[in-house]
Order: sequence, then structure tokens, then C-alpha cells
Amino acid sequence: MSTPSHEMGRKDASFEREPARRVFASELRECRYQFKDGEDEKSPTFVLLPTGERCNRVFIVGTLTEKQRQGDQNMFYRGRVVDPTGTFFIMAGSYQPEAMQQLAKIETPAFVAVIGKPSLYRKDEASAPMISIRVESINIVDKETRDLWVLDTAERTLDRIEAFAEGTGRDVVKAKEQYPTIDPVTYRKIAYDALSQVKI
Amino acid sequence: MDFSEAADRISRKFQKSGQTIDQKKIEGKLRRLIEEFGVQPAEAERSVTNELNKEFNIPLGGSGGSAGSGGAGSSGTAEKKIADAAPGEWVTIEGKIVALAAPASPAIAQSGVIADDSGAIRFVAWAKANAPAMTQGSWYRIESAVVDEFKGIASLKIHSGTTIKEIEEDRALMPATTPISELRPGIGSIRAKVVQEWDASHERMLQSGLLGDETGTIKFVIWKEPGKESLAPGSVYNIFYAQVDEYNGRLSLNLNTAMVMQEEGDIAVNGGEAAVSGAIVHVAPGSGIIKRCPVEGCNRALSRQNYCPVHEIQPKFTYDLRIKGWLDDGEKTHSVLLQRDVVESLTGISLDAAKEIAENNPLGMDEVFLQMRDKVLGRYITCHGREIDNRVLVNKCEPVGFESEKHTALLNRAGGAS
Repeated sequence: MSTPSHEMGRKDASFEREPARRVFASELRECRYQFKDGEDEKSPTFVLLPTGERCNRVFIVGTLTEKQRQGDQNMFYRGRVVDPTGTFFIMAGSYQPEAMQQLAKIETPAFVAVIGKPSLYRKDEASAPMISIRVESINIVDKETRDLWVLDTAERTLDRIEAFAEGTGRDVVKAKEQYPTIDPVTYRKIAYDALSQVKI
Repeated sequence: MDFSEAADRISRKFQKSGQTIDQKKIEGKLRRLIEEFGVQPAEAERSVTNELNKEFNIPLGGSGGSAGSGGAGSSGTAEKKIADAAPGEWVTIEGKIVALAAPASPAIAQSGVIADDSGAIRFVAWAKANAPAMTQGSWYRIESAVVDEFKGIASLKIHSGTTIKEIEEDRALMPATTPISELRPGIGSIRAKVVQEWDASHERMLQSGLLGDETGTIKFVIWKEPGKESLAPGSVYNIFYAQVDEYNGRLSLNLNTAMVMQEEGDIAVNGGEAAVSGAIVHVAPGSGIIKRCPVEGCNRALSRQNYCPVHEIQPKFTYDLRIKGWLDDGEKTHSVLLQRDVVESLTGISLDAAKEIAENNPLGMDEVFLQMRDKVLGRYITCHGREIDNRVLVNKCEPVGFESEKHTALLNRAGGAS
């Protein structure tokens, strides 16, 4: 054992990092409900996926098709990442300097992996809520990673659809309340179409 | 003989829990026990109390127990098996002293471990209790002791209201061993193999290391004390009544109180071997090329100024590679630590190449970090290694490849029912 024991996991023992959910753009786009787990200021915020799972963080892989610098005083970057089912909107501001520099550097189009936090916002009072992903990290990847992500995401989506049907998912009841018009079975077709686009 | 005093005591106890009992009825019960059956008055008071407890469905030791208000012997505490004693309860137990430990403070007369066939518990006899000294290996009946909790571990407190009687028992106790993965803070017995021996980190320490069985591993320590012997690495032992301590969410075993017997045979130790697959979602600072303290046995990572937290400035450091990060499968995130050869094979950057970059590139060590991050962030990999405290120490890893069988299976699953 070369690593001194005090060096490992001093504070990690009880800390659980929020997992990065795998979700297709067409499902994430439908999120309309955001909630906090706990009263604490630092309690994590979740968006509720229509398939009945809370989501504090996502891992997506797709094609960065556009990026745009915005703002003068508070400069930030916006971008669009496309997967086989639709488009994710991503943004990185001065609070995520590392992510912003990475995004600034990447030439479009490119396959990218993005880890970030989804959040709901409204342009103004009257408009419908939009969802965008605040980037924690972004990196150029290859096509194989994109294909692996489509498989991974289709599998996780099918898992959630099944848990929803069985009523075993953690937030199924909440999802039925918040999204009465959405039938998660539609995402099965979407997963099928996404898988069909992966060429072997 | 006058029973009104005892009857009054009993009825007052029940008044506290809202029951009114005819005093004459209590007196009658007492008289019957004492005069007709020759029962000692204190014992009679106890059994009438218990009978009424049962009648009114009051949990034993509940109402009548506190403070032993009825005087000696009439405390009404519940007789319990050790395994059932819960913190906050007044209990009466019968058990065997299986270990005695040196008292940690002058306020403590005796401390150690008492066991029955259901389990074992630590005990502390306060000096103020004036309790008779107990002998290791003997059986005692301990009446009206209190179970409390210190640092999450239950222990039996022997105070001035506790009575201790040595009893005639000569049973050999054979504690049931627990799989290491199911140990809880308190007292535990295991059958395990010494899988590692570590350098003593303290002069009072005789030996420390790692014990393992089929379910996992646990750190152990033996402090220097007359008569204590080290364990032989690679050997299998039955260890009875060791103290299981918890620190920062990690368990460890203190063997000083334990009965340790070497055994024949071998155990296929599960060293926490884990295989986790997922995407690297974060590469933490401190990854890439690092400097390590050259002092023998230290090996700590140095700061940028070559400062070791223990050995201060170390200009003759050695270089090393590592990646600290998070591997995420969408359901759970694992903390991973990739060791040098794993980093080399995953990134294609050797230690020599990294040294070259660190010493000649204007960004220095940061450049190595950036190059490595760009090569691994967002990639799917499978890591093999030992899992300790939720961190996987990775000694082998490979990229996840595209499997067309999996693709087909998922297509069938998604298309199947629609």
C-alpha cells in the first residue's frame, strides 16, 4: 500500500455525488417541473423527468452544431447539442470559467460530451418554461463514444419506462401528477428510432 | 406483617402511567406471595409489579424501572438477553465477563466486555459505584444497570444502584461469528485472515493491518500491552469479542479485548474487488503528473512548492502519474483513483513523456493535466480494483467497446411491445 490511508476519502465517506442521468433531448425538452429536495440552501435542485425520475445532473453526447458568445459585462456562451431525437440547449458563463473556455475553443460541428446541470427558465412571465443545461464540463469525443451514449441512454430510458409502468420508480407518482398528458410509452418509440440511427 | 407501604409504592408507580389499582388488591397479592409462598418481600414486590405490568400491557422496564424507586431489589428492571438491550433501558442481565480492559480514567473502576449466548456488550463500572470487582471468565447477574450509548456504541453502565452477584455457571460460550460486511459498531466476532500488515504509525501500537473474509475487509489494530502478540500475516484466526469502532464512517477492529485463536485452513478473501463501468464525468484537480515525497514510507503528494505536510520542503521529489475523478453509470457515481500504469495505458502518455511536458512546456504540470483530461473526460471505461470507502483504487481499466449484440438486444427491447 503506497497511498497513506489518510489521503483517501477523508470527506468522501458520507458524500454521495448526484449521478448524471442519461436522457434524450426529446424527453428533457418536456420537463416543466423543478423542485428542491430539502429545506437547506444547499439542497440539490432537481428537474422531474416525465419518465418519473429526478434529475440534478445529466451526461449527454451529441453534435455541437452552433455556439454563440453573448453579453459584454457578463459574458457567456450558448450552444446547441443535437442527439438523434432533438436538441439540447447548453450554456456556460463566468461562474463556469473552465467550461466556458473549453466551449470557446471547440470548433463546430464536433461530437461533444457534456456534463451539466439542467434548469428551467422563462424568457418572460407569459412564455412557456425552457430547459437549458449549465455546463460543468465539455469535451470533444469520437463517434464511437456518441454511439455508446445512444445505447446507454436508450437502456436507461427503457429502464425508467418499465419502472414507471410497474410504479416502482422513485418519482412516478409525482410525474403522473405533473405530466398528466404525457404517456412515457412514447419514449419507447423515440428510443427505438434513436437506436435505429446508429449505424454499425 | 404490614404490606401497605410496599403496596403504596406499587400503586404510585402505576399512577404515573395513568392506572388506578386497588391498594387492597395489591396487598392481597403481596401477602399471598410472602406468607403463603415464603417469597422474599423485595422479590414479591417485583413480581407483583411485573404481573400488573403485564396486565396493563406496559412494556417491561417501562414504568416501574426508572430510578429503582422501591429500594434495593425492587427496581423492576427488565431481565434481558444482551442482544436485546437497547440504549436508554434499565436492564438486568446474566452474562460472562469475556474481557477486561485497562480503565481509561480514574473515574472508571473496571471496563470490559460481558457476553451471553445472544451476544456481547461493553460495560463500564464507575469508581463511584463501589461495585465488587469482577473476574474474567466468571458469570454474574447484574441487576439494574443502564444501557447507554457513547459514540454510537451501546454499553452497560454499572452505577451505585446496580447490584452484582456472581452466579454458578460454567457454560462455555461459543459466539457466533459475523461476516465482516455485516459488522456494526460495538462488539463483534469474526473468522478472518490477515491479508495485510502495515507499518505501525504510533509507538504504542503493536500491530495494524487488514483482516479479510469472503465478504470484505476491515482494518485492525492491537495496542502494546503485556501478553499481547502479533498476528501472523496470511494466517486465519477466530477472533471473539473484538471491539468494533467507527471513525469517519469507517469501521475498525480493536483486538486488545478479544480472544484470538489461530486456525487451520484458508479463506478466499474478498478484497473489495469491484468492476465499475460508466463515463468519466469529472477529472479532479490533483490529477496528471504529481510530485511525491521521497522520504522512505511517506510518498505523500507534494504541493507545487514541493512541500510535504509532514517532511516539509523536499527538492528531491519523485514524479508520479494519477487520475482522480468520478465514474458515473447514470444511477450511481463512483469515485475512482487511477494509478500510474493505468493512467499510462489509458491516456497513452508515459511518465517520461509527462515529465518532458512538465519541465519544458510553459504551462508545466497543468499542460499534462489538460492533455489527460481531454483524453478521458466523457469517455466510457470499465475500471477494476479494490473499493475502499466508496473509492475504487483502479489497477486495471479498459475502454468500453461498441457491442452490436447489445445494440440488437436494445432494438428488440424498445421495439418489442410497441
